[in-house]
Amino acid sequence: MRIVHYVNQFYAGLGGEDSAGIGPRILDGTVGPGRLLSQVLGDEHQIVATLVCGDDHAASNAAVAQELLEMARSAHAELLVAGPAFGSGRYGLACARLVAAAHAAGLPALASMHPDNPGMSDAADAPVIAAGATSRQMRPTLQTVASAIAKLATGAALTAADGRVTPAARIGRLVEQRSAARAVELVLRRLGGDREATEIPVGGFDVVDPAGPVDKAANVTVALVTEGAVVPAGNPDRLESARATRWLRYQIDGMDALASGEWESVDGGFATTAANADPNRLLPLDAARTLEREGVIGQLHDEFLVTVGNGTSVATARRFGVEWAAELRKAGVQAAILTAT
Amino acid sequence: MSALRRMVHEVHTIEIGTNTRYEQHQLVVGQEQALALFADPALASVRLHVAAPGDRVRIVAPLDVVEPRSKGPGGGVFPGWMAPVNRPRGGDTHVLRGAAVLAAGHLPRNQEGLIDMSGPAADRSPFARTNNVVIEFDRADGASWQEAEVAVRRGLLRLAVHLADAAVEASPDVMEELAPPHHPGTPTGGLPRVGVITNLQTQGAFKDVFVYGHSMAGSLPTLFDPIEIEDGAVVSGQYGHPALRNPTYLHQNHPVIAELRARNGQDLCFAGVVLCPEPVEQAAKELVSTHAAWLCRAAGFDAVIVTKEGAGNADNDLMLKVDALEADGLTAVALYAELSGADGTGPPLVAGPRRGAIISTGNYDQRIKLPAVERAIGGSQLRIADADATAAVEIPTAAILSALSPLGAGWLTCRPEQQLAGQQLGETT
Repeated sequence: MRIVHYVNQFYAGLGGEDSAGIGPRILDGTVGPGRLLSQVLGDEHQIVATLVCGDDHAASNAAVAQELLEMARSAHAELLVAGPAFGSGRYGLACARLVAAAHAAGLPALASMHPDNPGMSDAADAPVIAAGATSRQMRPTLQTVASAIAKLATGAALTAADGRVTPAARIGRLVEQRSAARAVELVLRRLGGDREATEIPVGGFDVVDPAGPVDKAANVTVALVTEGAVVPAGNPDRLESARATRWLRYQIDGMDALASGEWESVDGGFATTAANADPNRLLPLDAARTLEREGVIGQLHDEFLVTVGNGTSVATARRFGVEWAAELRKAGVQAAILTAT
Repeated sequence: MSALRRMVHEVHTIEIGTNTRYEQHQLVVGQEQALALFADPALASVRLHVAAPGDRVRIVAPLDVVEPRSKGPGGGVFPGWMAPVNRPRGGDTHVLRGAAVLAAGHLPRNQEGLIDMSGPAADRSPFARTNNVVIEFDRADGASWQEAEVAVRRGLLRLAVHLADAAVEASPDVMEELAPPHHPGTPTGGLPRVGVITNLQTQGAFKDVFVYGHSMAGSLPTLFDPIEIEDGAVVSGQYGHPALRNPTYLHQNHPVIAELRARNGQDLCFAGVVLCPEPVEQAAKELVSTHAAWLCRAAGFDAVIVTKEGAGNADNDLMLKVDALEADGLTAVALYAELSGADGTGPPLVAGPRRGAIISTGNYDQRIKLPAVERAIGGSQLRIADADATAAVEIPTAAILSALSPLGAGWLTCRPEQQLAGQQLGETT
């Protein structure tokens, strides 16, 4: 089968974060991990071309998936493989969107990434093969991917036995015992020695390693971003007040402060009276401009990014984080101030 | 410590009439008598409705819900609002079980929710099972929303007492003795001493809960007499997250306290209740969590069930308390709702404990289709669905009042998909 392989700029050897903004392109033959994958695959299947896109460009622009898919078609792809992206969020999101687009268009496709990758949920119905958390697991991951490709090429559906991971859905349902009664039973089970009993697994939450400190703040571009739902008065773009499905951007170029009455918070989760009286207390544009004038920071990014954190699902919030990071990096922003409510 | 006796009068039917009366399980709400209880300069007008279980009625934007209770002509329920706190405790409290009074309509921070009295949403809200007296109101010109909210809250409490007063002379269907919690240092017969910490939301106007008439904000956690909670010492003025809301009714009928009492002397000793604020600053969250854990240990609890009100912010309070309790050697269980997205595949919790155990009260994001209804109370539009209030709609579970009750009043949970194979709806764990 003619396989087209997608990798990011780093695995294509086109550069690291400095090249993360490059647009989609197609290269002949195998590149980077594609070479090893080609060896493991043997002679029956051939990687004819490699698609590449910078992580920032791909993660901040959902339309890239269609562009890449067109390139794969132009190379007469019969099967598309993306990754492995391991735990990398932007790369994982790009892989997931690409295989989702290919799968929806009827082109057999699979992606590979760690099950905790924030991109997981964007693969929709396309198969995702489990990868290790880091590239140290490259070889065993590619062996699993190669076996999955061989099976997918026969037209068979991939299952857990092939390393396929699906986000395990937790399904809400009605039960006879109300929650308070189950809580008492759970306490008694734990007191009786069953220390594993729980209805939701305990622990295992994301711990985000802070980025290193900014070397010289006076030289960097700083962005203001918020989950406090600050929008122009009247909320013209109809940002949700809870359970966000999207984020927005607004220009602050040339503005010294957010004028009361022109900006408001539509967050449904806190008392907005004080925030609306002075929106700068939610998005500190006035203070940031002062720091900019005093030379404490280099310059302020000319737009801010905003969503509402109130009741927004964890998976959606993680995806926003990946998209914001890509967006800001692409714009040359080196530091961001995230205000929360 | 004093004991309380609940004189339970069951309400099977409800209607609006000329004079309030209760007989043969029927509650008649005297229209003019009820409306007069809402006389307040902050309210321009008030309307009275009733809605019974099974009715094709949708209550839009429900606010607080209160169970009708009375201690008779001398008063004594809702201390801090309707009675002095330094009155005699305990004694007899008349309860109109199966009835509730509630307000519905716009308030600035009332996140819009609903109660459907029939259909799939009715299976999910405890307030689809009560015969409801519903108050609609209009704010007076010149009155602030805060003033209108206080007027509605006071009116609801007065109405709850007024209705239960009608049953004081009736012979109760059931009498229920509520003993004080097990006293530390007395023999347990080898049973574990299990208590509850209940976090009360304290985020300012329209997001506040009152203890003896005062906001719990700024307080340290405190041991609290559970019969005072029965008698309405905890009153809600909190209108966020409908599914994650704890109306006054659920404090009066605190589900965890009820379940602990039900097993008292059999599997456990009901050890007591700690009330705690949910502050918004991290340092204050750490302070109240550390102090609550110490208080439980000092009171001789072996295990604690921890409850909250609200979403993300409140999840941190649960996390810190469970971790603090378990670090102190107590067994802890917390009640959380999940935020795992409409398909249930996302991570379930924003912030969860590192030890202890968790009860799932259901998924906030799971969507549910509701059929059209004949009549709506509380508003003509359902803004969350951008639809007429009586229309067939699809909404997230988050909008159904107390469906994900953090006090444990709901019947929802979540389980991983693969565990569901072959199991039928309604099956228990």
